[in-house]
Amino acid sequence: MKRPAVLLAVALLVLSLALISYRIIWLKYPILPAAPEKVWQLSMDAHVKGGEKETTVMIGVPYTHRGQMVAEERIRSGTLNFNLLREGLNQIGVWSGILNSEGETIGYSSTIQVRPQRSFKTKPPTLGPYPPNVGKEGQSLSKRLAKKWDSLPPADRLRRIAATCKGFWGTPPPDAHDLQAWQGFQEKHGQRDALLALLRAADLPARVVEGLELAESTTHATLTWIEVWTGQEWESLHPEKGEIYQKPAPLLSLTTDGMPAIRVIHGELSEVRWALNRQLINQWRIHFERIMRSDRLLDRWSLFRLPTDFQRTFRILLLVPIGALMICLLRNLVGFPTFGIFMPVLMALAFRNTGLFYGLGIFAGVVLIGYVVRRWINKLRLLLVPRLSVILTLVVLSFTVFALLGNKFGLRELMAVGLLPFVILTMTIERFYIITEEAGVREGLWTAAGSAVVAAITHQILHFESLQLTFFVYPELLFAVAAFQVLIGRYTGYRLSEFIRFRKLRGPS
Amino acid sequence: MSLSTHSWLHQFGILGMNRRNAEYIMRFNPRSSFPKVDDKLITKRLAEAYQIPTPPLYHVIEYHGDIAELKEILAGYQDFVIKPARGAGGSGIVLITGRQGSNFVKPNGELISWTDLTYHIFDILSGIYSLEGLEDCALIETFIHPDPVFAAVTYYGVPDIRIVVYRGVPIMGMVRLPTKESDGKANLHRGAIGVGINLKNGRTSTAVHHASVITHHPDTGHPLRNIEVPYWKGMLHIAARAFDMTGLGYLGVDMVMDRERGPLLLELNARPGLQIQVANQKGLLKNLDLVDKAPPDIFTTSETRVAWALDVLANPKS
Repeated sequence: MKRPAVLLAVALLVLSLALISYRIIWLKYPILPAAPEKVWQLSMDAHVKGGEKETTVMIGVPYTHRGQMVAEERIRSGTLNFNLLREGLNQIGVWSGILNSEGETIGYSSTIQVRPQRSFKTKPPTLGPYPPNVGKEGQSLSKRLAKKWDSLPPADRLRRIAATCKGFWGTPPPDAHDLQAWQGFQEKHGQRDALLALLRAADLPARVVEGLELAESTTHATLTWIEVWTGQEWESLHPEKGEIYQKPAPLLSLTTDGMPAIRVIHGELSEVRWALNRQLINQWRIHFERIMRSDRLLDRWSLFRLPTDFQRTFRILLLVPIGALMICLLRNLVGFPTFGIFMPVLMALAFRNTGLFYGLGIFAGVVLIGYVVRRWINKLRLLLVPRLSVILTLVVLSFTVFALLGNKFGLRELMAVGLLPFVILTMTIERFYIITEEAGVREGLWTAAGSAVVAAITHQILHFESLQLTFFVYPELLFAVAAFQVLIGRYTGYRLSEFIRFRKLRGPS
Repeated sequence: MSLSTHSWLHQFGILGMNRRNAEYIMRFNPRSSFPKVDDKLITKRLAEAYQIPTPPLYHVIEYHGDIAELKEILAGYQDFVIKPARGAGGSGIVLITGRQGSNFVKPNGELISWTDLTYHIFDILSGIYSLEGLEDCALIETFIHPDPVFAAVTYYGVPDIRIVVYRGVPIMGMVRLPTKESDGKANLHRGAIGVGINLKNGRTSTAVHHASVITHHPDTGHPLRNIEVPYWKGMLHIAARAFDMTGLGYLGVDMVMDRERGPLLLELNARPGLQIQVANQKGLLKNLDLVDKAPPDIFTTSETRVAWALDVLANPKS
């Protein structure tokens, strides 16, 4: 009796493995398709106000070089003209035009793939001048202080100089008089120019770079750091703390050579917002351009050939069977009760918009409100279909209230409430009511807790990006999922909950 | 799998939910036969054809419009029962024991007005209590006056007998006694008491309330053990015939004992619960296996199956 099911499961597993092996061995797919690579979505937006004269806004934007690849650039310029210019090592986006009194919102976005592992050879830069404000006296002071490191290799020289920011000058300590003069110099020119002077005195080419920290973030201000040439490559140095960034430095430069990232002529820029977000799908698009060109069967039938919008849907959709597998496990192996069979999966899908925390909160809130009203409505003796309709209306009404509250308190997650499956919630309220009436509140709460746990676990699975990509690249993994579902379908052993249910039998007999 | 074969549950011969579903219900209960047990009206008509007694039917209400003539029909009866044809787990059943002016009296003395009663019937018709929320019809049946044998251990309501029948062989039975908590209903999950029955002599053995073993009825205080179930042999035969009637190999047969009419078939269940094992303090697996190993000739008639059950299952050799 059990054999055909097991054979089917084995066949499904073999099929899944065979297709994956084919892709890996013959089509040269990466074995770990989900190894995270660094692809970022950069976006900037700001509001410009101008006067009667023509306003010009110049903002440094990243461009493709050996360390990074920039793609999918999008510009928002409204009524202004937009141009891209090269200025030395920088690429500048220039927005210009006459603005009306309300001003204009400008924006820029692009996808950046950072390629840190490639050490790219650049021509050694020439040693630049001292910072413009530093006079002869300061120059000779810097020279005296840096002299003792002359014999060291450039990278070590940099480290010694960086250490001076924290007050470590090493042995032998510099002349007390010079040290005092240096403190005065730092106060006068600022930490950054003092560091630059010292680097120049130590014959280390250096430049000031403005940019952003490479991290999921939204910020109003850019970051400034110093890049120092140590013979082979540029190393990045924090200008105040004197710390050298670990390589590869988690930094994205916008402008170098001391050029400010943002310049405005005849105008004013406000509400500048820089946002960086990790992106994985674009990395895959870059990675799988080969697939797009390949005429092999599985390449031609790859999900990567779908338009991007539909790809997103499939990334989630392909994981839904795992959610179902979870439910199989919890119900048939553990014996955990849930409302309906796939209701937790639908909840988990909806939680993608609200987030888990708010999702569960809203879920609990709506079911509670629904339950109270359902109890009260019972006295009215409404017929089934109209009664369910009343509950449905109530659910939609609660959504509206939640959304309005979300708007009031600026909680986007609450506003996303409308995407929760309201029909499912309506049926959940009805079921919750019937279970509490027939089997008690405890049973009702237990079932609600079960559903919430399954929804939370499923949500985490759906959220797991590496898994999303793995299934997207190897959709045949669904055969393997089905194999496990078949196996659970033939599991006729006890559920964990039955050990509790029948525990009384063990004692007396 | 260690969870299935080496556990104490298996040693006690307990049948688990997964195994019940996969090995017995899915294997022996063809889906096409489910309507025969899910709809009490169909069950009743089938039972008639097989000469199995059921509580006499007064009236069937199929449409909302039928309510109009109901008052006239009910005028002839002092007590009656209203139940949904497709209800599950005893939900939607209302017992009426008498009248007081224009109101009806429930077994616990509560009054129910004519309006409330018709609303309840509307609820039934719109499918509130039906298994899949389908439109339903309401049955109005004879009120059962239970045999007095369980009167001392019943807190109003009607006790019923459940017998699990496997491939036509009765393999285990229990009495379900209503309590105050279960509101006169004989459903274990509502708080009724389950009492195991010795297959051979029809005497009650252990009793279980919720998950704990008890010896006396919590409301009446009377002992539950060693009560002889009347018409026991007759009920075993009804149970065995219910298999011929439905073709369901794994079946729960629910019966009541009417004072005048004797045993009556109340309803059938294609997915009988596992709680009967707790009431009997014994697992179902052993008897299920014995039936599977029984010689084929015992399955020819309901009489041979009952005789075999009384001979083999009721006299364990171990």
